[in-house]
Amino acid sequence: MTKEPDIQNSLIKKFGFLEGKIRIPRERRIFADAAPENFATIIEYAMKDLSFTMLCTITGLDEGATLGFLYHLAREDGIMLSIKLNIDKNNPVIKTITGYFPGADIYERELMDLLGAKVEGLPEGRRYPLSDDWPVGDYPLRKDWKKQEGANNA
Amino acid sequence: MGLVEKVVTWARIKSPWIIHFNTGACNACDIEIVAALTPRYDIERFGIQLKGTPRHADVLVCSGPVTKQIKCRLKRIYDQMPEPKFVVAVGTCSCSGGVFDGCYSVESGIDKVIPVSAYIPGCPASPKAIIDGVVKLLASLEKKEEKNKK
Amino acid sequence: MHKVVIPIGPQHPALKEPESFSVTLSGEKIMKFSAKLGYNHRGIEKACEERTYTQDVYLTERICGICSHSHSTCFVQAVEEIAAVAVPKRALYIRTLIGELERIHSHLLWLGVAGHEVGFDTLLMYSWRDREVVMDILAMLTGNRVNYGINTIGGVRRDVSPEQAKQILKAMDTLEERTKYYIQIATEETTLIQRLSGVGVLSNKDALKLGAVGPTARASGVDRDVRRDDPYAAYAEVKFKVITDNHNDVYGRTLVRMGELMEAYSIIRQIINNMPDGPVAVKVPRKIPAGEAVSRYEAPRGEDLHYVKANGTEKPERVKVRAPTLANIQTVAKMLEDRQLADLPIVIAAIDPCFSCTDRLTGVRQQGKRSKNVMRWEDLHSYSIKYYQEHGIDFTDLNKKLAKLLK
Repeated sequence: MTKEPDIQNSLIKKFGFLEGKIRIPRERRIFADAAPENFATIIEYAMKDLSFTMLCTITGLDEGATLGFLYHLAREDGIMLSIKLNIDKNNPVIKTITGYFPGADIYERELMDLLGAKVEGLPEGRRYPLSDDWPVGDYPLRKDWKKQEGANNA
Repeated sequence: MGLVEKVVTWARIKSPWIIHFNTGACNACDIEIVAALTPRYDIERFGIQLKGTPRHADVLVCSGPVTKQIKCRLKRIYDQMPEPKFVVAVGTCSCSGGVFDGCYSVESGIDKVIPVSAYIPGCPASPKAIIDGVVKLLASLEKKEEKNKK
Repeated sequence: MHKVVIPIGPQHPALKEPESFSVTLSGEKIMKFSAKLGYNHRGIEKACEERTYTQDVYLTERICGICSHSHSTCFVQAVEEIAAVAVPKRALYIRTLIGELERIHSHLLWLGVAGHEVGFDTLLMYSWRDREVVMDILAMLTGNRVNYGINTIGGVRRDVSPEQAKQILKAMDTLEERTKYYIQIATEETTLIQRLSGVGVLSNKDALKLGAVGPTARASGVDRDVRRDDPYAAYAEVKFKVITDNHNDVYGRTLVRMGELMEAYSIIRQIINNMPDGPVAVKVPRKIPAGEAVSRYEAPRGEDLHYVKANGTEKPERVKVRAPTLANIQTVAKMLEDRQLADLPIVIAAIDPCFSCTDRLTGVRQQGKRSKNVMRWEDLHSYSIKYYQEHGIDFTDLNKKLAKLLK
């Protein structure tokens, strides 16, 4: 298990503020907590210098006062790096990473539809995955969302 | 082979054309419906044919719990079918929502949208059950027709 | 510019058909393609939070009926990792066995569907007939043909008896012989090769950039397979080849899947012959301690990913599922660039999409014109076969030949 600590050390060397923010729960899994200001540079470094060339998906979480965004990156040797952002729920703005990973498009739309994230820089497109007649402002994956009884008889 | 005899009997009288529609299912029932057409079960030798358009179909064979997105499509397909028409709900999901009952994006059953003539439960409904259900439906229609004639 | 679409019924401006694909043509060439997804959105992730872990094992199984074991295993692995459960080796072997049987049934299913999409219907009939061999084995082992319910948190729910093991090995011999025949057809029949070659091209660079997974990616030379790169279940202990190909097209995707069938037979034989003794499950408490895990699984369609977050209760805090088709659907637009409408059915079928292809609607618009016609999948299918017949690729003879040979 020598690769994962190497990756951890490289990240801390390049981004000192990540000290104490990276954990390795088991082989081939690394989790890191980041802040939005430096997020793009971390993604770029991970992609270009550490060979995390694949974006698997983006998980959105409702953590109460904040919305969490977990970006799951993977490399050819099977190691996964999951980088987390926590953004204030009252203004959950994140920037698109489609510039680095074009495939992020559909995952970011999912975050907007289900959690109410605001993704800056995403090109015009259809919503996913909710139906066209789903009310705007209704985010089913949020913890305080309640199913509207009888409101869906179109 | 009582089942074969039953099927051959009504096949002589009527060979229904069916259209298959997936209303948001996991595909398990769909592949069992298609499997019913393949050599082992070979529903086609009884005259049952899978058609591509609702305008030529007698029976609408439906799977899935009806997602919100597909609801009006389902209605549209049903409306396009000529009378007399019948609907078969294949699989527990199309009968009652199945495991997806209560999910926010699902109507929980085809009969919430269109009238259903026969319910075939199962998760998924096996090809044998599907054939049995369709045969039962058609046998009951034959009985009705005979009653009406008298 | 002559119109290429067949209008279905009267077009009412007020009635809006929800269509799944939108295509802009210039003559017959596809200039723009977009897919509208969400028809299958059932709200499973939310439902997982409202149910217990055990209920979720059965719910995740029904995300997709064709790769149901993939989803339930991927989920269960994540939960077991959070709970720090040591799953017995025998259970891991049985999970692998069912997983490879699932891969076989899925690839044979795909072979039939692909045959159907190009007009090679005898291939559909015979590959699905052979698929019944696997369905029988799965029903024997698990009690159901589809949706096996074999997983539980901590292991599997049923064991494999020596008698069943013998039957599995016999079935592998039968299927291997038949598959060799399908491979022969795919590599020798010029009609099939011509029809599938050069169609749905995805370069190695694009496959990587757009995040393609599974056979779709491997057919473009991307050497990536979760079973080898991030081993789970018993894959670290079996020998197998990851099949890649450099054709970058639908033909390549066909070859990759058939190669994977042969590997699956080999893996299953190793599993049966080396299966360790022992229990098939360990008890796991109902409440899973707080924690999170990312689990990956190589489903027949490609990498499946589940993220689970636990909060110390009986129900998960969050379950995130990224099915392989979602990753691959984004490559279809690239594959259809500069191709004709007639290629659309097989290109989409070649990524082995996890939505039912029997009733998809395609909106077709001529570039520069505002009005649009809506084509049903069945019509697109007929159009595609007719188009290629007019261009010299006809499967009538091959259908007859195969029927005669396989009788």
